[in-house]
Amino acid sequence: MRNYYLLPFDFTRVAHHEVLVNEYGDMLVLPQGSVERIVDHRLEYDDVYKDLVANFFISESRVPANLGIYASRLREKKRFLDDFTALHIFVVTLQCNQNCIYCQASSRSEQSAQCTMTFDTMEHAVRLMFRSPAPVLTMEFQGGEPSLHPALIRFGIETAERINETERRELRFVLCTNCVHLTDEMLDICRQHRVMISTSLDGPAFLHNANRGKVDSYERVVAGIERARRVLGADMVAALQTTSVQALDYPAAIVDEYVRLGFRSLFLRALNPYGLASNGQDWAHYTERFIEFYKAAFEHILYLNRQGTPFVEEFAAIVLRKMLTPFSTGFVDLQSPAGIVTSVLVYNYDGYVYASDESRMLAEVGDFTFRLGSVHDRYEDIVYSPKVQHLAQLWANEALAGCSDCALRNFCGADPVRNYSTQRDPYGHRPSSLLCRKNKAIIEYLISLLVERREEVLPIFKRWLQ
Amino acid sequence: MREAFDPHSNDNALFVTSRCNNRCLMCCQPPQADPDAEHLFAHNVRLLQSAPPDLPVLGITGGEPTLLGERLVALLEEAHRRLPHTAFHLLSNGRAFSDAAFVRRVCRAAGDNLFVGIPLHSDYAGDHDLIAGCRGAYEETLTGLYNLADAGVEIELRVVVNRLNYARLPRMADFIFKYLPFVGWTALMAMERTGLSVPNEAQVWAEPRQYAPQLRQAVLSLAGWGMGVAVYNVPLCLLPRDCWPYAKQSISDWKTAFAPRCEACRTQAQCCGLFSTSIRPFEGITPILEP
Repeated sequence: MRNYYLLPFDFTRVAHHEVLVNEYGDMLVLPQGSVERIVDHRLEYDDVYKDLVANFFISESRVPANLGIYASRLREKKRFLDDFTALHIFVVTLQCNQNCIYCQASSRSEQSAQCTMTFDTMEHAVRLMFRSPAPVLTMEFQGGEPSLHPALIRFGIETAERINETERRELRFVLCTNCVHLTDEMLDICRQHRVMISTSLDGPAFLHNANRGKVDSYERVVAGIERARRVLGADMVAALQTTSVQALDYPAAIVDEYVRLGFRSLFLRALNPYGLASNGQDWAHYTERFIEFYKAAFEHILYLNRQGTPFVEEFAAIVLRKMLTPFSTGFVDLQSPAGIVTSVLVYNYDGYVYASDESRMLAEVGDFTFRLGSVHDRYEDIVYSPKVQHLAQLWANEALAGCSDCALRNFCGADPVRNYSTQRDPYGHRPSSLLCRKNKAIIEYLISLLVERREEVLPIFKRWLQ
Repeated sequence: MREAFDPHSNDNALFVTSRCNNRCLMCCQPPQADPDAEHLFAHNVRLLQSAPPDLPVLGITGGEPTLLGERLVALLEEAHRRLPHTAFHLLSNGRAFSDAAFVRRVCRAAGDNLFVGIPLHSDYAGDHDLIAGCRGAYEETLTGLYNLADAGVEIELRVVVNRLNYARLPRMADFIFKYLPFVGWTALMAMERTGLSVPNEAQVWAEPRQYAPQLRQAVLSLAGWGMGVAVYNVPLCLLPRDCWPYAKQSISDWKTAFAPRCEACRTQAQCCGLFSTSIRPFEGITPILEP
């Protein structure tokens, strides 16, 4: 037996195997009892030993020979930090023309006053955005229903493009709209400035309309999607699904609806605990049911792929990219350090800057914990504020109790805002966290597929990640 | 020794040294001392003077060319001055490129018109060093690969399949995707039955039909990730059909041969053929009669 040294790794048990994960998320699936043999220095000189050395789980010298390569791998996985804030969300208005039962943004009726951004706020927000060093800046317009204010959106985009004549960044624009009221003016702006449409569709008509509290919402949304595709091109329109309690019973029907409407992917999204009040008991029950819903929908998606219909589940694709590839992923809800500030800032209609989309939703119920400053403040006073410095101590799951020794840490993220809103403590308590419960269950499910059905699922996953 | 370039050949190269700092167990051109290094250098400079200016690719080979050190930099400068539009294909074990400053000097000399072919024998250092016949080779080669990538040099990773490494080929494919995703392509290569693979036969020799399953898995795995992959030196009749799209006519035209029974084969025009330099052809050569 050879002398070797242990390098940092974690492990968990999935599908009667031990799944070892190293510091940058490379996974090794071994028979039960392997970790004990590794730790007790009882390894034979065989292919498992060679796998462990080659992939930096153990080392033949006290300091691994190619430590620079170890560092390169880790650096690449954290590359999303290099550019700093790339996603800039502009909450144009809280006014909305729908009445969704799960509204997370505390939207108000179309006639409501005092809940729309001023042109002055928009201009200052755009100027703040350019203080971020990111070479690619995404302006995402949200609401409420932002398309109710096309002139304000046009002003925001044109202000950004004017400043960009000297800044020379790559600018991207996204309009989050329910597609119910896409006027010629709005579509004209989108075509002129290559604005992507991100819309919301919950599945078949009966489900979508029930969630929207309207009878004709589905038809209008589908007509809006078709119109947007015609004017902007099919690849410029994406849709998000939100799983209401009623939706939990229709996993396959929701997937089929997306396929029928010509979408090639779907993000299976759980409700989040903002907007509508609910007690903890309900959330625990909902979370368990959502996990089952997710697996059922995912099985159906795998079935479609086997039948020759390429169709991607986006949440899994993000996790799988972390698990199976050496590349960095930029998804703000599943990052460590967390996406707040480092990857996303929110400029709210009220003239204030918030740490994330969910932070401004808290503000609507009177909690300003994650309000970082005003659009009139200096950039440095916002992103280096004492509030952000405090958050920075809680936003890396490498340093959070309950996360730091979790084998799934690399595939997950930290979310102080969610911790605060659900547990009244931004540090969070993992054993009772339903976000932790949900993420772990889904990530373990994906690993179990890779362990038990590798030949079937790996080619599908590889296609998703291309 | 070559006396002039042939613009119609797929194999125009400067042979710059016979020396090497590796002792690969299956080396097809075993290293030796250069009796007259100055003469060889002068000969190569003279060859360059006669090079056709539209030569697309010029190989630089040995031995281990980087053992020339600053003389290699000088030779590349001269080559780039003579042939500003020619790409230089340097075959090296990559160890000298563990010095990042040397990488920069070589790149500058070649006018950034350089791609480097580097063998990797295993994902596991112990096996790589065993095959390369040199302890510590893996560490330097891997560092060299990263330094070349940092400098933006295109890399052809060369895996010479042999008895000591073929079982790990599928694992190596995973390793290449995760640790070396920047390589331009990976070439999986069959051995020539010449040079050291003859005396070391018992230790290193493996027949393509022996390692075809592992080779196939590695090829399809890399291709599935969208990585460039190529198979060199394996005749089509010994290669699983789903790997045919990755097979290249890799053998230099002057040493390509076919067996008599290949005359009936319908794929001969696409096949890499056999090494005329091998003392014995691969086992299982069978003409392909159906389309």
